[in-house]
Amino acid sequence: MTRPGAAFSELLRSLTKRSATVLYPYEKVDVPSDFRGRIEVRDDLCIGCSKCAIACPADAIEMAAEKGEKKIKYGGKEIPRKKHPEVNLLSCIRCDVCEEVCPTAPKAIYITAKFSGASDKNVILVVPTVP
Amino acid sequence: MDAWLVFLYVLVFPGIFFLLGYSFFAEWFDRKMYAKMQNRVGPPLVQPFADFIKLLSKEDIMPEGVEAKPYNVLPLFAFAAVATSFIYIPTFMSSSPVGFQGDLLLVLYMLTLPTIILFLVGWYSHNTFATIGAYRAVSQLFVYEVPLFIAALGPALWVKSWSVSDIVSWQQGNPWLFLIQPLGFIIAIICLQAKLERIPFDIPEAETEIVGGPLVEYSGRKLALFRIATDMLMVTGASLIAALFLGGPSVGFSLDSLPFWAAGVIGFVAFLLKTLLIVFLLSFIRAAFARLRIDQMTSFGWKWLASLALFQLFLVIGMRMVVQ
Amino acid sequence: MRSLAEMKIPIGPQHPALKEPVGFMVNVEGERIKSLDLDVSYNHRGIEKGVEQRDFNQSLYLIERICGICSHAHATNFVKGVEELMNLEIPKRATYIRLIVGELERIHSHYLWVGVAGHEIGFDTLFMYTWRDRELVQDLLEIISGNRVNYAINCLGGVRRDLSEKTINLALDHLKKLGERAIYYTRLATTEETMVGRLAGVGKLSHEKAKTLGSVGPTARGSGVDSDVRRDDPYLAYADVPFKVITANNCDVLGRTIVRAGELAQSIEMTKWALENLPPGEIKKAPPRSAPPGEVISRYEAPRGELVHYIKSNNTDKAERFGVRTPTMANWPSVVEGLTGQNIADIPIVVAAIDPCLSCTSRTTFVDTDSRKSWVWNWDELRNYSIRWYRENKGIYWGD
Repeated sequence: MTRPGAAFSELLRSLTKRSATVLYPYEKVDVPSDFRGRIEVRDDLCIGCSKCAIACPADAIEMAAEKGEKKIKYGGKEIPRKKHPEVNLLSCIRCDVCEEVCPTAPKAIYITAKFSGASDKNVILVVPTVP
Repeated sequence: MDAWLVFLYVLVFPGIFFLLGYSFFAEWFDRKMYAKMQNRVGPPLVQPFADFIKLLSKEDIMPEGVEAKPYNVLPLFAFAAVATSFIYIPTFMSSSPVGFQGDLLLVLYMLTLPTIILFLVGWYSHNTFATIGAYRAVSQLFVYEVPLFIAALGPALWVKSWSVSDIVSWQQGNPWLFLIQPLGFIIAIICLQAKLERIPFDIPEAETEIVGGPLVEYSGRKLALFRIATDMLMVTGASLIAALFLGGPSVGFSLDSLPFWAAGVIGFVAFLLKTLLIVFLLSFIRAAFARLRIDQMTSFGWKWLASLALFQLFLVIGMRMVVQ
Repeated sequence: MRSLAEMKIPIGPQHPALKEPVGFMVNVEGERIKSLDLDVSYNHRGIEKGVEQRDFNQSLYLIERICGICSHAHATNFVKGVEELMNLEIPKRATYIRLIVGELERIHSHYLWVGVAGHEIGFDTLFMYTWRDRELVQDLLEIISGNRVNYAINCLGGVRRDLSEKTINLALDHLKKLGERAIYYTRLATTEETMVGRLAGVGKLSHEKAKTLGSVGPTARGSGVDSDVRRDDPYLAYADVPFKVITANNCDVLGRTIVRAGELAQSIEMTKWALENLPPGEIKKAPPRSAPPGEVISRYEAPRGELVHYIKSNNTDKAERFGVRTPTMANWPSVVEGLTGQNIADIPIVVAAIDPCLSCTSRTTFVDTDSRKSWVWNWDELRNYSIRWYRENKGIYWGD
């Protein structure tokens, strides 16, 4: 049984409802805490084992040589770090495999929930930092 | 009236400048109500004006092999036709200073011109999509013009005059005509939606089927003129229906006791409210239905619109004879 | 004798009716379509070749990106094919979680389809409403998997993330709201007169034609063909979950709409059942390093129909050959069949009724890197080439 105007009541009700639009970027958007956003690397934990660079499906991580001496505590010993990862954020597909294969605890390469940030460069490198 | 007052009436208020400003406002109101009914935010108030300015600044491209003169001049014809027909409709007084017997027919014919021009535009554009849009526009024109004219004939027969100003003056002290001819009012609104080529009747400009219809090759200033002509057509059509069926600027009681400027302001506010109500009804219809196909439109138009309009006409003639 | 009203209209590859590039050359007379030519070779990306150079875990993320809407379908289909090659039995909880995400993806895809169908016939209000309600599913998927599209929840041997108690309760709450809205949209799609006028009697595809042209998914089920991979060849946990296969006998676009609306309601019920009956246990099992030599054909009921992956392994950690047959590829001939003799105004909705995902349409293309030229073959050239190859190399003659 078809009739014209099956949507009438919903249309009139919507006039009084608050709009469903989120006025981004004037309003903030909530994301869950385990949202897969940008990758960050911790300078004080990374031992330079290259597991993340080998596992990355998008080839976004390159191991760069360490300038100068760097010693990291790992497994009770102090070991020298010869290279560190540099993540190209624009190639990263945010899959989080690097965090899974990282051998340190807490993880030296980890994913955050930050998702916004535009840039005018064509390579954005994330290097190890101390949080 | 003095010549310079008539000049002011035609050019400033409620002539071209007022019509332009009110068209922008009416387009904003239509888009905002449409958005609100869809649970969205909608555009800010200056959006239609910003769109117009943006279009004016864009590049004016003419396709190869198109005849330059008609291609360039046709949008101006559409703009002029709609702007001319507006001055015959009373907006704040009970009659228009340039009105005459028969101006109802003049207004109705002038409002038909934009569709014919749309056909010519589609024909001159040398584009497959434009040609399809053009013949769809003319097919649709045949379907809705007849009920619209018959529905507009109802008030003219009741008041026994061919002047819009007389119809408005008659509703000054008498019940508004939509109470006496409700069917004519509804048919007039549906036919106005078809004339404006909005959903469910936007067959000539079906965006997902034939891209942009007849206007697909237009850009820049000419497209801006066409769009403002469409908005002005909406305002003029809404004002005509408000004048014929809702009494135009008249309120329920007589305003002769008030000074001229007070009666004018009250009449103007009443006119604005009535036309905005009609624009709201048009937005509501636009949000509630899917687009019809041209064959469905033809069968709907002749089966329902035309026959109901004729029925309303016979009712009017019969009731008039009884009241006589 | 060509009449005055005969025209050739190009629909696509760029057109507001199409979300992705596909080319139609339509011969019309007035408003009636006399014939159409189809060209689908615009979207080749070389994913099948790319999978040959990546190991299983890495190619999983590449395969997930074959399509945005069916991304979990592709990923799950690949990973369960590889697990079959490795003779790896994954924990039950993992199969349930994969099923839940798969059904949520089907819910999201069908909501999206109702909106797109509404937009193609000019009913933008339906588009806005359904896409607003689809945000509930997207938020749910974001909480479960960390992203709204490309969920990356599969890994070889199970799933990567678990569902917490809080997530399950939130999911049940959202599913209740989605179920109510689904009932409203089903009612709207079947009672709104202008909408039914555009959907009924359009894109006719008889039961026999649906079978001979090889249509799959809601396109075939809307013509009465009773086939669904989830019931005919159960995978994951579909053997445990109770559900019905929805078919309709309208044989037109309205039939497909009814099938999708019914599947929406069924998916909501299935997800609720799976969430309430989630078995406890591990979520993944360590896979072996490489897959023994073998070939596997893996089938999955994607939102658009039957998805087939062919994987060949050779004792390494990479696939030797990977082939994809997507449901959209199987459904294109039904579009050509359904549009012949109809109006131009029906082109957008008949194309939208198969729920085309051009990213999912497989295609082959030839590239000559020296002369920097590329070209495609049509069906006859491909068929003649294969007859010639088999005759010359295997001594078998297939031709007629």
